[in-house]
Amino acid sequence: MTNDKTSLTEEEVIQGLSLDAQALLQRVLEIERSRLHLSGSDATVVDDLHQVVKGIIA
Amino acid sequence: MKLTEIKLLNFRQFKGEQSFPLDTSDNKNVTLLFGANGAGKTTFLNAFTWAFYGKLSDDLEQKQRIVTDFVWRDVPFGGDISVSVEVAFEHEGTRFRAKRSVEVRKSSDEQGSTTSSLELWASTGGQSKLVDGPQQKIETILPRRLSQFFFFNGERIEDLVNQKAYAEVKQDIKTLLNLEHVEKALLHLPKVERKLSADLKKHGGDQASKLQEDIETSQDAAVALRETRSVLQDDLAALSEELQGVLDLLRKHAEAGPLQKQRDETEERLNAANQTKKDLEIERNHLVATRGYMAFAGAMSLKAQSIAAELHERGALPAPLKREFVEKLIDDGQCICGTDLVVGTDAMRSVEEWRSRAGLQSVEAAWQKLNGQVGQIADEREQLKQRLQKLASDIEKGRSQVDSLNGRLTELEVQVKNLPSEEIGRLEGKREDLQVRINDTNRKMGGLDDAIKLSETEVERLQTQLKSAEVANVLASMARRRMEAVQAVQKALQEILDIRSNDMRDRLDAKLKEVFSSITVKPYYPALTADFELGLYQDQADGSRLPVPKSTGENQILSLSFVAAVSQLAREVASQRVGADSSPDSGTYPIVMDAAFGSLDINYQRDVSRALAVMAPQMIVLVSKSQGQGQVLNELLPHVNHMGVFVAYSSNNVKDSETIELAGREHPFIETRSEIDWTELVEVGK
Repeated sequence: MTNDKTSLTEEEVIQGLSLDAQALLQRVLEIERSRLHLSGSDATVVDDLHQVVKGIIA
Repeated sequence: MKLTEIKLLNFRQFKGEQSFPLDTSDNKNVTLLFGANGAGKTTFLNAFTWAFYGKLSDDLEQKQRIVTDFVWRDVPFGGDISVSVEVAFEHEGTRFRAKRSVEVRKSSDEQGSTTSSLELWASTGGQSKLVDGPQQKIETILPRRLSQFFFFNGERIEDLVNQKAYAEVKQDIKTLLNLEHVEKALLHLPKVERKLSADLKKHGGDQASKLQEDIETSQDAAVALRETRSVLQDDLAALSEELQGVLDLLRKHAEAGPLQKQRDETEERLNAANQTKKDLEIERNHLVATRGYMAFAGAMSLKAQSIAAELHERGALPAPLKREFVEKLIDDGQCICGTDLVVGTDAMRSVEEWRSRAGLQSVEAAWQKLNGQVGQIADEREQLKQRLQKLASDIEKGRSQVDSLNGRLTELEVQVKNLPSEEIGRLEGKREDLQVRINDTNRKMGGLDDAIKLSETEVERLQTQLKSAEVANVLASMARRRMEAVQAVQKALQEILDIRSNDMRDRLDAKLKEVFSSITVKPYYPALTADFELGLYQDQADGSRLPVPKSTGENQILSLSFVAAVSQLAREVASQRVGADSSPDSGTYPIVMDAAFGSLDINYQRDVSRALAVMAPQMIVLVSKSQGQGQVLNELLPHVNHMGVFVAYSSNNVKDSETIELAGREHPFIETRSEIDWTELVEVGK
């Protein structure tokens, strides 16, 4: 899969991030997927993501 | 999700406890159930959605009568009646049983509203456990709003592809195709960034705090602009839907139809002409921006050539003889004519004079280069002039073609308006009004796009400044690092979303075309726009394409093709997910179809059943006698694992009972002269 504008693949986009940012991206997607169909979870997702950022960039 | 069994207890016309096996395999993936009108096919479809979500569809009559009428009548006042639907299914290696039940106490002759409850058991390796939060769990397995793709009434399936409804299902498609959680992350991360920025503003010192304040002001402005744009986009979708409806009526109108066809063709050509003109203008602007300076290089290059020629005349520029050659003659002491070159002789003086006039090799090389470049500049300038002249001429031709097509459209409008029918006049008036409103909305959206772009550029500029701004302490420095990481992840997620969206749209578009073309004999093809909107088109002789006015049948085929394509792609996507961003098997869903083939012609019924049987991982098809026999049965039979009949017991004393012949055997279909009205679901073959 590539991006029309840059012709980058998804893997290349991820490789372009620092290791910290890669770890953050992975955790963000895990959290979002697990909360996808839960109603009223937006506020807690933001809190959880906030904690994840603090944990990874410490 | 794969369904394995359903159990019904006093659920509407299904009296008492009844069950039916639904398990299927890869090769035998179809359950085929026959029922007469009113026998309970629609109720059976609703049994699934009631069990999972507690909802009955709008087309089900007397929704409050959840208990079988006979059972209700038979219970004394104050008595309790149990009603339940239990669906067994497998999902991601776990076996589940979802049971929705309600205890109803009879307090009057009429049934009132009830409140049901859901229990969900999960079992792996033989141990069965009650699941906490069963409704949430069901939502994670098959979200309710996605269920419309998989539990549907064939006669109403065409609603799936009308433009207004499509705005809603677009988001569902994104969920199925693994895009929605990326979009959610892009909504949530700016809020995370805002939480982090509080630390920066608190501890960052004057400069960083001020920059962060400014960034947030610009970000807030962009958010407000996007919200306004989103409202306009919804308006635009509704207006476009309405316009298409009006155009379809004009296309189908006996008098207006031919003129509308011409107008469609003219508009298509106008769009193509506008696009060509725009492309030419872009090329011209690019040429002027990147090579326009050459227009002023003509006099300069001529002047440079003239100066060089004068220098050459004066011997200041390289002569035909190179200095290195003359020096070698002097060193050798002999001229090329054989004369000895002795110091003080006329011959030596003559050759020495040549040495002073001869050019250095490096100077000559520079001259050659200069001369060549001057010539090249002149050539390029000439080419540029010719290309610009050609572009100007083509743009002018394009402009005149656009004017001519606009003129033609005006003529056609007048002709349509002059038609005597009042109905046409009303439709044409509505069309004009809608077109004006669409143009106005588009213009406003264009203005908003520019404003959003400006805000985003400003945010980027300020963020660059913030990166190098001095911060007061380590807390602020940490906050800035965290914010930078969140920004980098947001940027990457946006790119990932673009990549996945493009890929999914292309794949869904290709699958849809494949399924649709395998069903219909007409020269139409479906196409998805960049924004996942669905249209049906026909190619024209001049290479352009026109939208096709869709009949109910075509909408049904389009919708069924769409369901089949989405179903197959969702499975592919699920099987391709890797790593932490994965959820194995979550793309597998059953398709349960009531009135499976709607009002399609028999050949379409055959081709739709063939396509669906191949593409859907599991299919439960509810059909009437006329729909399900003949070619449909021939297509489906090789895939059928369980076959059943909704045997309708009726108190009707006038009509005779009916049977149905399946696989060479007669089975009860309608039993009249019964004491009570109810339905029994009977398995008749495997």
